[in-house]
Amino acid sequence: MSETQQMIEYIVREVVRRPNVQIDENTSLVSSGLVDSLALVDIVIKLEEITHKRIPAGKVQAKDFETVQLMFSAAARVGKACS
Amino acid sequence: MMRTKHFSVESSDKLLRFPLPFRTVLEALLSAPPEKPFIIMWKDEDDVETVTFGQFTALASAQANYLKGQELRAGDRVILIMPQGIALMAAFVAALLLGAIPAILAYPNFKIEPAKYRVGLAGASSNLEPRLIIVDDAFPDELIKHVSLGVHSRLVRSPALGTVATVPASPRNSDSDETAFIQHSAGTTGLQKGVALSHTAVLRQINHLGKVLRLSFEDRIYSWLPLYHDMGLIACFILPMVCHLSVVVQSPTEWVMRPASMLQLISDYGCSLAWIPNFTLQFLARRVPMKMRSTYDLSSLRMLINCSEPVRASSMDEFLSAYGASNLRPGALQSCYAMAETVFAVTQSQSNGKTNPSRVWVSANGLRRNKVAKVSQSVNGDAVCFVSSGRCLPGTKLRIVSDEGADLPGGHVGEIWIQSDSMLNGYYNRPDLTSEALRDGWYRSGDLGFQLDGELYVTGRKKDLIIVAGENIYPQDVEEIVSSHSEIQDGRVVAFPIYNAELGTEQIVVVAEVRQHQGLQRRQMIETQLRTSIVTELGVVPRAIYLKPPRWIVKSSAGKPARSTTREKLLGEHPELDPGKGELTSVGNAAND
Repeated sequence: MSETQQMIEYIVREVVRRPNVQIDENTSLVSSGLVDSLALVDIVIKLEEITHKRIPAGKVQAKDFETVQLMFSAAARVGKACS
Repeated sequence: MMRTKHFSVESSDKLLRFPLPFRTVLEALLSAPPEKPFIIMWKDEDDVETVTFGQFTALASAQANYLKGQELRAGDRVILIMPQGIALMAAFVAALLLGAIPAILAYPNFKIEPAKYRVGLAGASSNLEPRLIIVDDAFPDELIKHVSLGVHSRLVRSPALGTVATVPASPRNSDSDETAFIQHSAGTTGLQKGVALSHTAVLRQINHLGKVLRLSFEDRIYSWLPLYHDMGLIACFILPMVCHLSVVVQSPTEWVMRPASMLQLISDYGCSLAWIPNFTLQFLARRVPMKMRSTYDLSSLRMLINCSEPVRASSMDEFLSAYGASNLRPGALQSCYAMAETVFAVTQSQSNGKTNPSRVWVSANGLRRNKVAKVSQSVNGDAVCFVSSGRCLPGTKLRIVSDEGADLPGGHVGEIWIQSDSMLNGYYNRPDLTSEALRDGWYRSGDLGFQLDGELYVTGRKKDLIIVAGENIYPQDVEEIVSSHSEIQDGRVVAFPIYNAELGTEQIVVVAEVRQHQGLQRRQMIETQLRTSIVTELGVVPRAIYLKPPRWIVKSSAGKPARSTTREKLLGEHPELDPGKGELTSVGNAAND
């Protein structure tokens, strides 16, 4: 399974947790109200797990998590390789 | 020119001597030891910015000169819309140096739609009639054109720190009883209230609170709290500025994405004081990986003060259980009842560092039916637990008042009325709201509670307010947004808080009537649209939106939707919303219907 697909499945199953919700890598997550800002911590941890990178919280903003595609771009931009 | 001598507020045993000998907040800042670190702004391990008191004063002076060049004069109001950081703090003090009246508003998050942002800012802007609205360099261009400006207002971008010439601070001599700055309460347009505070009131509050907290010159504060909120502005910026303490700051959004950073910073910097809304305790207990917990050393933390949301025993217990092995002191968790109208704290639990705040178990039925807190000897049955918010600060008095305006004895639930020597000057430019809130010198808080053995227990709210993770949201604002949807019956909407035991905070639940039964067939689409509208206008995500057929919502005798009764009806139909046993979100709200 691709990294983006892993993240999509995680968000639907563990974060959104509502029936009949489908998302893809370009679905608006935060501004649509699908994902509460209090859930971003879970997504950050999952993103680190999938990418094997540490994401410095001070280098990303909530808008970097607006879509699955954007969060992987942010990880590539600011993620630090785990030691 | 007041910066002539360095005055030490330190006594031989390192405890600060209160009252401090300052007339204004600025006198206090200019008397601080210039070499002592003031703000440690943390973004990441390799991105930490530290300024000493001397450097901070220089930055604020430079900003003041720039603002003077922008024709900001004494008495002018200035709105600051900048991200959490040293530049915002310096701009705030710069305005004070000129005798202008600053007000910090929340920085727009990316969820806000430009057209909606105009509406959000319009209320504060039209009420304050500011000379300047200051935004930072990164403020989105697409929002700039939607910032509503009055005839005499101008919008300027704040210069980068250090890009303007630095000259010594020269504060204007101002009357310490005049309004020094304005704090904003919740709400968008019509509901927004600017709490006007004087230097005198602010210093009295800090003197009283500092004494009760037994502040020491060696105390160091940790904060992720936004500066537009009284807890962030007063407790975590102005208090350390006046008392010459260091404060480690990070932004709320960074903290929420990595909550463990709070524990790491307290550990690394040896922070001794922090204020937090209740949900933080559960957030830290549940969202920090278990394997990390033992790596933090919280032994420096003298007081972690639970404030600005209802204080919950279950959240405190969960935190204690999670971090008991991190050298947390036995009496570190404390509580406080605070509001912008009294500058900040009204009550504060004890600071002996040995015990956590008192708790009582009382019969829920007794509270609901008779509004009496009958202490239960057993935690079984219908008993609910309340945590004390402590005793009144010096200079503060409380009354518990019935709906008829009569004083109630100990153990009886009524509205909390407050009289304090650190009271607001009034709601800025709103004498109507001021006279409504103040009666014979008493501030009617709109909160409900009871007193036992001199301690205050807050039980709920008489006023309509939802507190989501420390943010105050008026249900009327939510209802207006939902009502404006073409498929929703105008005015047939009710929004109210439901406690979410998993998150440790209240969340918004909305119930709305569709105009026609057929609208229910488009339920999912309408709910999605409403959810997006609420998020883009208010920045908060509702927990649930329920669409109901026409005439479902319960009306009051005045013909308006009755919030409490509608809430009970919805809870009856949707048991999944149950706030949980042992949790009582409000007592006595039916009076509002």
